[in-house]
Amino acid sequence: MSSIYFIALPLLFGFATPIFAKFGKNGIAYSSVLLQASLFLLSIQLFVTMDKSIIEVIAIAPPLGIALILDNVSIFFVMLFTFLVLMGSLYYLKLREKNPYQNEAKFFILINMLLASAIGLVLSSDIFNIYVFFEIAGISAYILSAYRKTPKALEAGLKYLITGAIASIFLVFAIALIYLHLGTLNLALISQGFTALESDIKLLISLFLLIGFGLKVEIFPLNFWVTDIYEGSDAFTDAFFSAVVVKAYLFVFFHIVYLFLPHKEFTLFLLYLGAVSMLIAEIVALRQTNLKRLFAYSSLGQVGLLFVAFSMQEAVSITAGLYILLAHSLAKMVIFLSLASLFEKYKKEDISLFKEMNSPFLRNIIIISMLSLLGIPLLAGFVGKFLLLKSIAFSGLFVLLGLLVLASLIESVYYFKIIGFMFSKEERGEKFSLSTLQRAVLLTLTLGIILIGIAPFLISDFIATASSVMIDVRSYQNLLLGAN
Amino acid sequence: MIEGILEYLNQTEVIKTIVILGSMGLFFVGLFGLLSQRHIIKVFISIGIMEIAVFILFIGLSFQKGLTAPMLGDAHTSFVQMNDPIPHAMILTAIVIGMAVLALGISFAIEYYKLTGKNRLDQMNEMKH
Amino acid sequence: MNIKRDISTTTLSSFTLSAFFVLTVLSILLQNIPQKLFSAGDSLLKLNSDQGVANAVTTVVVYFRGFDTLGEIAVLFIASFGIGLMLTSQTHGDKNKVKSNFMLQLGARLLFPIIILFGVYVMTFGHLSVGGGFQGGVIIASAVLLMFVSSNHFHLSHRVVEVLETFAGISYVMIGLIGLIVVDSFLGNFLPHNISQLGLLLSGGIVPIIYIIIGIKVGSEMSLIVQNMLQRSDND
Repeated sequence: MSSIYFIALPLLFGFATPIFAKFGKNGIAYSSVLLQASLFLLSIQLFVTMDKSIIEVIAIAPPLGIALILDNVSIFFVMLFTFLVLMGSLYYLKLREKNPYQNEAKFFILINMLLASAIGLVLSSDIFNIYVFFEIAGISAYILSAYRKTPKALEAGLKYLITGAIASIFLVFAIALIYLHLGTLNLALISQGFTALESDIKLLISLFLLIGFGLKVEIFPLNFWVTDIYEGSDAFTDAFFSAVVVKAYLFVFFHIVYLFLPHKEFTLFLLYLGAVSMLIAEIVALRQTNLKRLFAYSSLGQVGLLFVAFSMQEAVSITAGLYILLAHSLAKMVIFLSLASLFEKYKKEDISLFKEMNSPFLRNIIIISMLSLLGIPLLAGFVGKFLLLKSIAFSGLFVLLGLLVLASLIESVYYFKIIGFMFSKEERGEKFSLSTLQRAVLLTLTLGIILIGIAPFLISDFIATASSVMIDVRSYQNLLLGAN
Repeated sequence: MIEGILEYLNQTEVIKTIVILGSMGLFFVGLFGLLSQRHIIKVFISIGIMEIAVFILFIGLSFQKGLTAPMLGDAHTSFVQMNDPIPHAMILTAIVIGMAVLALGISFAIEYYKLTGKNRLDQMNEMKH
Repeated sequence: MNIKRDISTTTLSSFTLSAFFVLTVLSILLQNIPQKLFSAGDSLLKLNSDQGVANAVTTVVVYFRGFDTLGEIAVLFIASFGIGLMLTSQTHGDKNKVKSNFMLQLGARLLFPIIILFGVYVMTFGHLSVGGGFQGGVIIASAVLLMFVSSNHFHLSHRVVEVLETFAGISYVMIGLIGLIVVDSFLGNFLPHNISQLGLLLSGGIVPIIYIIIGIKVGSEMSLIVQNMLQRSDND
């Protein structure tokens, strides 16, 4: 089996939507879910049968053409993304009965394009191809955030589009400079030639790459626009932005950093950028009352934490980073999907929603997810945070350690505020219960959080190999260049 | 006199310097517009100018004096002494993508204006608390 | 003239900021003018000889870097239906239309088939001379735009455009998948192609076929964008 199906089939689905639309009202919904389920099964099958990295050549062999690389770390992301998108789509099958999007077919196309481009970003080994997927992911996300066509949604879409367009200009500039000075677009060849460049040009390229990707990975100070977008968009689409799109950009950014710029000065800069980003996001989150905005700030904080983890450039901290990323994706998916149902039911997005809500099931899973984000033991978030703090302490970066602990304490303040609201003794309306399918989806995700928390050793081998592959530049180069 | 000037201009270094100066001048116009203008359409125009500046820089610098277009014709029967085709292909892709994004942005702006009557970035305050 | 009164602080500060940024970049670029080096493109030029395609840019766009082009088509497709999504719901802007001049109407009708023919020519000869699917598609869309300008009642049949773009999109991916099965690489050139066919209309294996498909796709998407921007729909 080949990794190209992850990109080709969603594109084919998108192009062929008018045909699926002929199968009645539910034709597109069910075929989209079927496609995502089969992609998820395909990724599982690839994972089980994979004994070494698979390189998928498109048209001509790598140094000249484009190739997709499926190694231990990219299969992790492929499995995660297909799983999360499948869960989201299943959840939407019930959500659409009450509050469907208009022109639903287009909505399903966008979700599948988002999946294809996130996987393409992770798999691609050619920098211009990464730019193309960067744009597909971007343009699908712009439309998704403006989809409801309310003034808020359109404002979010416009802001997203303008920042995205600026990001892509700087990315193209960086790619142009790379091609002019190195004569290649292949990641492995660039990483071999990059150190020999003039330091001025290196500075310029890394600055442009940092601006281009920094606007997309939501790092301070380039994240001023993010919370508006989360607030303006639907909670349902926020789940995808937070759990899938940002993670794909984050992986590509650090993949490029490891390949091109593994210098201690640069990564130390990123390290403190991440810590400051987390601290500021958590402080600002304290005084937010809109739930989407509040959890957007929490996402920014977690991105800062992931920046810290990935910038340490050690296998241990990258392992920690992958655990944090997994836990955060699962938890944010649970939270935003539950919020989508709650907003739809109670017609308000304020934090006082939790005083009114009467749904023990949703209350419990949201609490579990928030505690996992905080890093309470026996939940998924704990494993990553513990490993990360341990490796920071071993490196002797105590200032950083202090910053992270402070940020986590601030984070706990607003999470416990929400939990307090949930248990407040106020008049609550009639009981609100979800359909079985939605419960099953949320329960699966929550069980994932608990299972990873209780038994991290189940996946520890896999994640440890993934992190060692992610940082191993030499074998990536050999894989990509030795193929012809 | 004129021949001297032309000969001076025909040097590779001079051509490339002119390309860099011109395209970065254009980039300055776009960046200045982006930072100083608040009207949505003007912001889009500024972004378009910046994009074009990057494209011109890339195409101009990848062009080599004395080489022909990468295409067979009456005088050229084999693929030697030709310019690099990859920048052309890349810019072709980038132009289409840039156009698509800006067209989409304009449609957002039109719809936003219809709903709220606002057309400036600094008037956008649907989410102020 | 009082500078302080006539120029606002925003203008001044953004001018300074952008001038600083651009001058820094400019000085770095001027000190490091790239020299000619042996690039990936030169290797591709050498490989180009056995493709049976005269225009090397076409080979790069459609075959060597065909995956980028597929992504690009996807971007155009998403943007086109996004614009359709945004601009169809409201009332039509047809109220204060002026009837266009007779000369314009006549000229447009005369020119329309010629422009379409030219677009098809550019599209189908993309692998032999200057041109290609993108250019041809845009030329066709410009003919459609001319018709929109000249006549108030002109509109594209949504059915036809939808059939065209669906056909083009599906066949692009399908050709890629057939390549995966036949020559074991996505978008591989599975049809006979070699230098001896050079100059024939059907030389270069899948290259001209894909470029024609791209032309159909680009032409229909761009025409749809034009129609949606004018906010003229099927049923008026």
